[in-house]
Amino acid sequence: MPKVPRSGVVVDRRHFLRSAGLIAAAAASAGHVFAGENIVMPFLNGQRQLVKYPQKRPLIRLTTRPPQLETPFSVFNEGVITPNDAFFVRYHLANIPLSIDSETFRVEVKGSVETPLSLSLADLKKMEAVELVGVLQCSGNSRGFSQPRVGGGQLGNGAMGNAKWRGVRLKDILEKAKLKPTAKQVAFNGLDKAPLDKTPDFVKALDVDHALDGEVMLAYEMNGEALPMLNGYPLRLIVPGYFGTYWVKHVNEITVMDEVLNNFWMNPAYRIPDNGCGFVEAGTTPAKTTPIKRYNVRSFITNVTDGAMVKTGEPLRLKGIAFDGGYGIREVLISTDGARSWVPAKLGNDLGKYSFREWEASFTPSRPGKVELKVRAVNRVGESQPLEALWNPPGYMRNVVETVNILSA
Amino acid sequence: MKHFFLIAGLVATSVVAQAEVVKIELPVETAVYKSGPGADLANAQCLTCHSADYILMQPPMPAKFWKGAVDKMIGKYAAPIPTNSVDALVEYFAKNYGTETNTPSNTVVTQVITQPSGALDGEAVATKMGCFNCHAEDKKIGPAYKAVAAKYKGNKEGPEKIAHQITHGGSGQWGTVPMPQFDSLSAAEIKAVSDWILAQ
Repeated sequence: MPKVPRSGVVVDRRHFLRSAGLIAAAAASAGHVFAGENIVMPFLNGQRQLVKYPQKRPLIRLTTRPPQLETPFSVFNEGVITPNDAFFVRYHLANIPLSIDSETFRVEVKGSVETPLSLSLADLKKMEAVELVGVLQCSGNSRGFSQPRVGGGQLGNGAMGNAKWRGVRLKDILEKAKLKPTAKQVAFNGLDKAPLDKTPDFVKALDVDHALDGEVMLAYEMNGEALPMLNGYPLRLIVPGYFGTYWVKHVNEITVMDEVLNNFWMNPAYRIPDNGCGFVEAGTTPAKTTPIKRYNVRSFITNVTDGAMVKTGEPLRLKGIAFDGGYGIREVLISTDGARSWVPAKLGNDLGKYSFREWEASFTPSRPGKVELKVRAVNRVGESQPLEALWNPPGYMRNVVETVNILSA
Repeated sequence: MKHFFLIAGLVATSVVAQAEVVKIELPVETAVYKSGPGADLANAQCLTCHSADYILMQPPMPAKFWKGAVDKMIGKYAAPIPTNSVDALVEYFAKNYGTETNTPSNTVVTQVITQPSGALDGEAVATKMGCFNCHAEDKKIGPAYKAVAAKYKGNKEGPEKIAHQITHGGSGQWGTVPMPQFDSLSAAEIKAVSDWILAQ
């Protein structure tokens, strides 16, 4: 049976071809934004094009080569799961795989192990499968809002997504390979490469204890389908609660190391101030840095956009999402008076501590004029979000209490 | 039964999975650097590894920021940018993508591509212009210079076609990265490059 995913793109395994016209018509009926449109992000030099990539609906293009695509924020109001065709894309090196044979694909497990392995996808699918709903967020999500501005991918809030990942526990694979007692870290490499041989290859590492925690996973499915090519087909590392830099795509090499990986991508890239909070006074340089790790708490209003006009005296339904680095969301609070008072929102279904948590609230503007809507989440260990944005030089981990300005009339 | 399926996108993008092979085609690159003094350097030195929109999307930044960026490309990413091109490259970015207050508008961009005296060495011009960043035999960004030579050898219009390609750039027919324009070369330099290519 042909199945029609959210994007309206028809996937039919029994037919050879579907015309682009038919697909365009299907996409149009689904009411999606079209390629070629421009949008403007709310910061200086924020003009962007919406561009259609393979297996993707039109997404906000930051860069062409290597591709970096951001999810339009309206997608987060569609549901708690981010559809595969709307999921953001971030590569570091330009020679990305464009063709992969899933039969010949192998992931090698080597280094400080008793039994080096070479596993096919079929081998992995024979192992016990596990599933987890989890947020993937880019370290630099929301970087474009940094003040003062900092260099790097000038992202709005769309370099995040929530998906159901299915695959095998990394622990099960490492136990098959039997780590030597000297093992300190496990390094992950994927098929993407730099055009120049001397550019450091994108390799990331986790401490052995983390790699063996039973939650870190090698996923071959995302939301019930094979991973889209641009999201790491056929195999991607899932590091629940940790920033996207560790979620290596197209993983084909797992190397157990007796030392700590000290390549460009672990040091100096992807590091935050080593001062307990990860931020410094705006415009200053931290004395010491440490690798970025877990997500801090974030929350968003998804159904009302900045500048919206609402009717005075009529109830306004507010809804949105919240997440953190894996403790789970305990409470979401709403303020409609510029952070003077807060009322709790109603939390939606709990899809697990690593997932977006939906919330809902209602508010009736009592008099005409400007209204500042704010949302703030608290996680199960009491961590929350700052009222004023914090800053660090790479523009990582922004988690300010978001404000949506509306007009009641 | 053989499994064939096509997940088509709109024009120029598609995904094909034949049997067990998943294959995608990316849209053609469209971002270009602003023209002007120094653009040749940016085209030659920066497009090898990333598209121009990496620069185009940055907020207006001072020369100090661009110096840091160029130094990082050399020091951390091993970009083979000649030392004597760094200042001119930084100046180009600061002038075209910088904050005016931090960029003296009366400075003259250093001319790095100088006309050597005597007979022109096509290979030397090509090296200086960064042609081999994309057209060396082991690079996949543009056709290898030997493939260009093979294509146009014996063709009377060969030198003209190569010259046109250099000064007008390409359309991305060879791959998804269109060749930028290199319009600061003199006619003699273009001829030297073209003669050298055709002699390969």
